[in-house]
Amino acid sequence: MVLVLALGDLHIPHRAHDLPAKFKSMLVPGKIQHIICTGNLCIKEVHDYLKTLCPDLHIARGEYDEDTRYPETKTLTIGQFKLGLCHGHQVIPWGDLDSLAMLQRQLDVDILVTGHTHQFTAYKHEGGVVINPGSATGAYSSITYDVNPSFVLMDIDGLRVVVYVYELIDGEVKVDKIDFKKTSSSHSAH
Amino acid sequence: MPPAVVNPLMPESLLVPPSSSDSVSQGSTLENRRFGDLRGLQWRINLGVLPSSASVDYLRRATADYRRRYASMRRHLLVDPHTPKRGSNCPDLVIDNPLSQNPDSTWSRFFRNAELERMVDQDLSRLYPEHGSYFQTPGCQGMLRRILLLWCLKHPEYGYRQGMHELLAPLLYVLQVDVERLSEIRKLYDDHFTDKFDGLLCKENDLSYSFDFRKSPDLEDEIGSHGNDKKVKNLEELDPMIQNIVLLCDTYGSEGELGIVLSEKFIEHDAYCMFDALLGGAHGLVAMADFFSSSPAAGSHTGLSPVIEASRALYCLLSLVDSPLHSHLVDLGVEPQYFALRWLRVLFGREFSLENLLIIWDEIFASDNSNVEEGPDEDIDSGIRILRSPRGAFISAMAVAMILHLRSKLLATENATTCLQRLLNFPQNTNIKKLLEKAKSLQALALSSDISIPPSFFGVYNQSKSPITRSLTLTSETVSPKTPLNLLPDSYWEEKWRVIHEAEETKKDEADKQVPTRKKGWTEKVKFSIRRTESDPSPSKVQGSRTESKASFRRSLLQDLNKALSSDEDTEKMHCLETSNEQDNISVSVEGEGQDGGSKDNNCTAEDRFLSGNTGSEENSSSFTDPVSPPGEVNDHEIYSEKSSVASNLSFNESNEDSFSSSNVPPLPVSSMPDNMSQISGCSNDITGNSATVSRERKGNKVGWFWKFGRNNNEVMTEKGGDASEGTKAGNGSSKSNTTAAATCSTSSSVSCKGDSADQNVMGTLRNLGQSMLENIQVIESVFQQDKGQGTSLEGFSKNILVGKGQVTAMAALKELRKISNLLSEM
Repeated sequence: MVLVLALGDLHIPHRAHDLPAKFKSMLVPGKIQHIICTGNLCIKEVHDYLKTLCPDLHIARGEYDEDTRYPETKTLTIGQFKLGLCHGHQVIPWGDLDSLAMLQRQLDVDILVTGHTHQFTAYKHEGGVVINPGSATGAYSSITYDVNPSFVLMDIDGLRVVVYVYELIDGEVKVDKIDFKKTSSSHSAH
Repeated sequence: MPPAVVNPLMPESLLVPPSSSDSVSQGSTLENRRFGDLRGLQWRINLGVLPSSASVDYLRRATADYRRRYASMRRHLLVDPHTPKRGSNCPDLVIDNPLSQNPDSTWSRFFRNAELERMVDQDLSRLYPEHGSYFQTPGCQGMLRRILLLWCLKHPEYGYRQGMHELLAPLLYVLQVDVERLSEIRKLYDDHFTDKFDGLLCKENDLSYSFDFRKSPDLEDEIGSHGNDKKVKNLEELDPMIQNIVLLCDTYGSEGELGIVLSEKFIEHDAYCMFDALLGGAHGLVAMADFFSSSPAAGSHTGLSPVIEASRALYCLLSLVDSPLHSHLVDLGVEPQYFALRWLRVLFGREFSLENLLIIWDEIFASDNSNVEEGPDEDIDSGIRILRSPRGAFISAMAVAMILHLRSKLLATENATTCLQRLLNFPQNTNIKKLLEKAKSLQALALSSDISIPPSFFGVYNQSKSPITRSLTLTSETVSPKTPLNLLPDSYWEEKWRVIHEAEETKKDEADKQVPTRKKGWTEKVKFSIRRTESDPSPSKVQGSRTESKASFRRSLLQDLNKALSSDEDTEKMHCLETSNEQDNISVSVEGEGQDGGSKDNNCTAEDRFLSGNTGSEENSSSFTDPVSPPGEVNDHEIYSEKSSVASNLSFNESNEDSFSSSNVPPLPVSSMPDNMSQISGCSNDITGNSATVSRERKGNKVGWFWKFGRNNNEVMTEKGGDASEGTKAGNGSSKSNTTAAATCSTSSSVSCKGDSADQNVMGTLRNLGQSMLENIQVIESVFQQDKGQGTSLEGFSKNILVGKGQVTAMAALKELRKISNLLSEM
């Protein structure tokens, strides 16, 4: 029953001024155990705000981040799952699944979380799961049109992870759910 | 799972109906101890979970019913958001996502439960670490957690409060004990538990019905070896208790497995129901859940939370039983809820070990919980509502019994913190049986006596120091303490003196106005003298007043003691007192303007009064205080008129001392001769009378000695002080006595100051007393010798004769004093 919040690419204050109000009302402290941030926050205030939601905060460095101390990639273990974190601008072509799979094998993780494309995707392939939470503020991206604010909440419970996707479409929050199950030796989706 | 469970000892008294003639307890005993051996079952009956007088079948059905209810509730309330809701294929994710703010979503309920669970876990992790082998196992903890969670979800108005887990834990424990007991019985009487058809081998090739009722060979061998001494074949031959148990736990009885009354599978269900009944009160009066709520109960007259009301009821009962202790606690500002909160909320769970607690809870649950009095609610002070049911009365009685157990320690402390410490750290090795017996007697009292608490009683607690209650100890209407005074240690009086002294300072003006009118004229006269001498203040006077007041309180102390020890004598002395009063009045009136002498005589006679305990001139004795403080005089009046003296405790030796002290007065210039003569004659009468008195109890004597010495100290001191304040001494003698008086004043005041300190060692005070006594003796001796050479007395030769006679006796008394003071200092 571990709740992990994955978000990124907020681009505050350059491209957006704040999270959408509806997202902010949902993000209350106390429910979430971990936060994974793909990067491009960009300023310290956003970092502090995320810290108030949950003290366990992991950030990978995006190209516009003003804090240079964030790592390029990060791996952590939550429950039975190994998670990998990277901003994604290092992996070219941007958003290419195979290249991301290469990174995943390199990091040796079950779930890889990357960003940069400002587009939500969740792929499952032979190695594991690749999740892109999109941009939480809906910031402008040169490679994506019609960016909708989105973020991802993962519910890790034993060998099963449920991925809830929250998207703000036309001013309404839409929620979707994807189940992933990990077997002891190999990975499989529902 | 089954860990080593300590089987608590069952005292015989529980299995055998007690011989107490109280109808309430008798009735409950017979009914409520049917299964005294199986606490889990017994408590379920007592708490109302199971019907009390029912057949085995009915019990089983009731058991099954409540278990079913619990199971369904558990399924309903304990929500797992992962499992899809029944009947809905695609749940609305907008509502049912983890971050949803919607309070109805399963996730919000899940998070609320998680919050509760966190609170419960905090407490559970600290539950009974000394019995951790059972209570800290994950299985047990899981059960406790679930039960508490479910109850709190069912009763959201109460929520989870710390302490509920302590109420639940013993319930679970007794159920576990029961199950283990059952398994023991099972081993012994295995035959009756298993059905004949169980494990029956069915021969395939046997086409005809030929049931072989013998069990398989290996089983038979076992039984043969086990049941060598218990070859009971028939159920009816068993002990009825065992029979009952067998029937109750028969797998094939009514309701099948669900109806097995002592079942390991359903411990959680049973515990929940017991817990619910305990907290909810099961339609009775005392609902433990009330003790956890902070808002006033419905229909409450005082508008206070129930636990505060119950604590007050406790203090009520205490004041009925032991008023001095009650007033002592109230004066210190020890409000009942400081310690009673913990006692009541956890039903003494934190004060006793688990084994003792189970015994106590046996008694508590055995008391019926129904409302005894059906009277209208309006005119009964709801503050004592708890006392109206036998169970509530027993709980309060138990608490009062505990307070009484700590009586001496409580009375010995001077500040509230220490008192509370003593109350909250109840000694571990107390005799539970005695406590329970005392509690039962108090319970009878609480239920039977017509408890009408004056509304002002509760107003008492509003003041930090309530002098009003203090006066209770001084009036003659106090209820005699139920605990025999023989149990009081000697130190009790010393401590009480200090306590009273403190209170006295505050309540000087609230003394009872019981001054008889006939004394008024006399008091006026004395007041004249006071005013005349007021222009000559001296430090000794101030000290004298202080010690004066102390003396008056010592007198009241003594009065309390006397009252308890010898009431008959008191009445006698009252009579004597009356007569002597008249006598004194006459003598006083004769005095005329001889104020100094009169007062001095009064001093002397006052001493006589106290020390001899005979009729003496008590009025005059009180009057001797007049020169110092008129209100104090009124005080003394009241005291003396009400109470008799200490005579029963004093031997005639003391009277010698009186005479000596009385003779001490004449050396100082006395204006009125006839008064003196009458006084001294009175003194000599007293002496002769005293020689006839025999000191009663040794103990009382001892106390009397203490008192006497202290008194003597004070008396002489104040006498000197009074003399000093007079300022009408003749020549050197008076001046010398002044200085000496001042010296003694300072010493004795220093003594008293020391005595005031809260942490005064009793032995130290006694030693100090002895020393001051010695000093006084020396002073008196010196004065005496001075006076011998003095010939300035205004009186004639008759007085000299008397003085001579008094001297002889005085010397004898002095020697006696010396001996006694030596004894004291040795102590």
